[in-house]
Amino acid sequence: MVSILQSEWFKFRHSKIMFIILTVPIIGIFLGFTSRFSNEDFEINEWYLSLLSMNLTYALLFLPLITGVLASAICRYEHQAGGWKQLLALPVTRGRVFIAKYVLLIVLVLVMQVLFFVAVYIVGMIKGFTDPFPMVIVWKSLVGGWVATLPLIALQLWMSILFKSFAAPFAINVILTLPTILVVNSERFSSFYPWAQPFLMMYIGGETGDTFYVPWVQLLTVVGGSFILFFVGGYLYFQRKAV
Amino acid sequence: MEYVVQTTNLSKRFGKESAVIGLDMKIRKGEIYGFLGPNGAGKTTTIRMLLGLMKASSGTIQIFEKDLNKEKINILKRVGSLVENPSYYPHLTAYENLEALRKILGVPKTRIHEVLEIVRLTEVANKKVKGFSLGMKQRLGIAASLLNSPELLILDEPTNGLDPSGIIEIRNLIKQLPAETGMTILISSHLLTEIDQMATTVGIVTKGKMIYQDSIESLRMYAQQKVLLKVSDSEQAWRSLLGNGIKADWEDGIILLSEHSDGKVAKAIHTLVHEGYSIYRVEEEKRSLEDIFLQMTTREKVI
Ligand SMILES: Nc1ncnc2c1ncn2[C@@H]1O[C@H](COP(=O)(O)OP(=O)(O)O)[C@@H](O)[C@H]1O
Ligand SMILES: [Mg+2]
Repeated sequence: MVSILQSEWFKFRHSKIMFIILTVPIIGIFLGFTSRFSNEDFEINEWYLSLLSMNLTYALLFLPLITGVLASAICRYEHQAGGWKQLLALPVTRGRVFIAKYVLLIVLVLVMQVLFFVAVYIVGMIKGFTDPFPMVIVWKSLVGGWVATLPLIALQLWMSILFKSFAAPFAINVILTLPTILVVNSERFSSFYPWAQPFLMMYIGGETGDTFYVPWVQLLTVVGGSFILFFVGGYLYFQRKAV
Repeated sequence: MEYVVQTTNLSKRFGKESAVIGLDMKIRKGEIYGFLGPNGAGKTTTIRMLLGLMKASSGTIQIFEKDLNKEKINILKRVGSLVENPSYYPHLTAYENLEALRKILGVPKTRIHEVLEIVRLTEVANKKVKGFSLGMKQRLGIAASLLNSPELLILDEPTNGLDPSGIIEIRNLIKQLPAETGMTILISSHLLTEIDQMATTVGIVTKGKMIYQDSIESLRMYAQQKVLLKVSDSEQAWRSLLGNGIKADWEDGIILLSEHSDGKVAKAIHTLVHEGYSIYRVEEEKRSLEDIFLQMTTREKVI
């Protein structure tokens, strides 16, 4: 298991897809400087508004899209030149290969999350914020956003293994991501839509009664439920895939 | 008898179409088994099933006398393979390609240099595989298949698409392997000449069925020329030849002399003339291996 993960990391490390991750802080900084918000009328921590507006676009749009691109990228070199048959004729179980790819993906997404908040911090520094950096809030939305993408990544990995082309899984991902923009305005629908969960988990204006910005019940049922569905679906599909 | 590979009634259907039908493949230790058949005969499909890349529709596969379904990992640890077109990671160098596999196989790093040396790719070890010629990619594929020092090496059309010098290079490479390591090799091809020059045993498939499986010598026996005699009263004539201690076969009114030195033929004719049979024709039948292969694969009948 560890050896497969090491091999996956090795292949990834030597590829240009590394740079996909670096787009995250760039997007973050860009979002930070393009969003116009004024703090002067409010008596709240100046980081809050910055976080609110930056998290919005990032969690709604960029986060689920970039994880999809990463998932495709991580299967791309197997699709390209007979990599699947070479990899799967080695003494490995398909289950472990699937898990190794998934683990690598979620670790990369966690790194992305950290980079995003580094970008938020840089934006604040440049803008000359003097209020204390709200560490607790940042942690909550960083980890919360990450947890909420776990089911999405499982489905994206499934689709990336299923389709040889780069475009097909990407298109599916876009189609599933876009409705989020409409759905987030309705509390009723957004709580059930898996693609809306990263946004809700990173929406720092949300309920704070529970550990995250989303109630535990919703976390366990919607995020947990869709995770099990997508992960098991992808796992079983890969078991039977003929290569 | 101990077989390294033994399939029983192995079949694979794609929808309604059968790609492999009731295949019984038997490969003994140390053999170079030539798996021969025209394009679309089912060679790659069979090999994919042997490697667990594809599930069989029915039948069983035993490798190293273990059931593939039950002990896949243990079996694959001892197998090296190259299936169809070479597999590689284009963005990695030759060395890095092998390193990515080595991490999983857990063999020492020195083994990478060894296998690169065997396939003579040491000089381009640090070049990206993207820019390699087909022959170089093929050799890299063979290097990859040798990484774990396999006891069973499975190569699917390793010379397909190569130029003549590339073909000779790969052929020499493959021939030297079992001598050095006692490896068993399964190599598929659609070219008989290819198999003829390497294999010790041949299995011929066509339209998913195994129509011949025996040593290469037995196959060559069929290729030997025969002298055909067309005579009056052929069955009686044949019996009298046998009575005189001359080896012959009788088929469709034609006598076939299996011993065809000048002296033997002269003796047979002398005998027949002496006994009063009329001789209409004396013909020599030459069958090349290629003819036999063609005949077998088009007639789909076991000879
Ligand atoms: N994945 C597949 N789906 C449907 N048919 C297939 C598939 N793979 C192979 N076939 C069919 O099975 C037959 C055998 O193919 P193959 O094993 O590749 O032959 P060979 O390797 O001997 O040239 C062919 O008729 C081919 O079209
Ligand atoms: Mg083939």
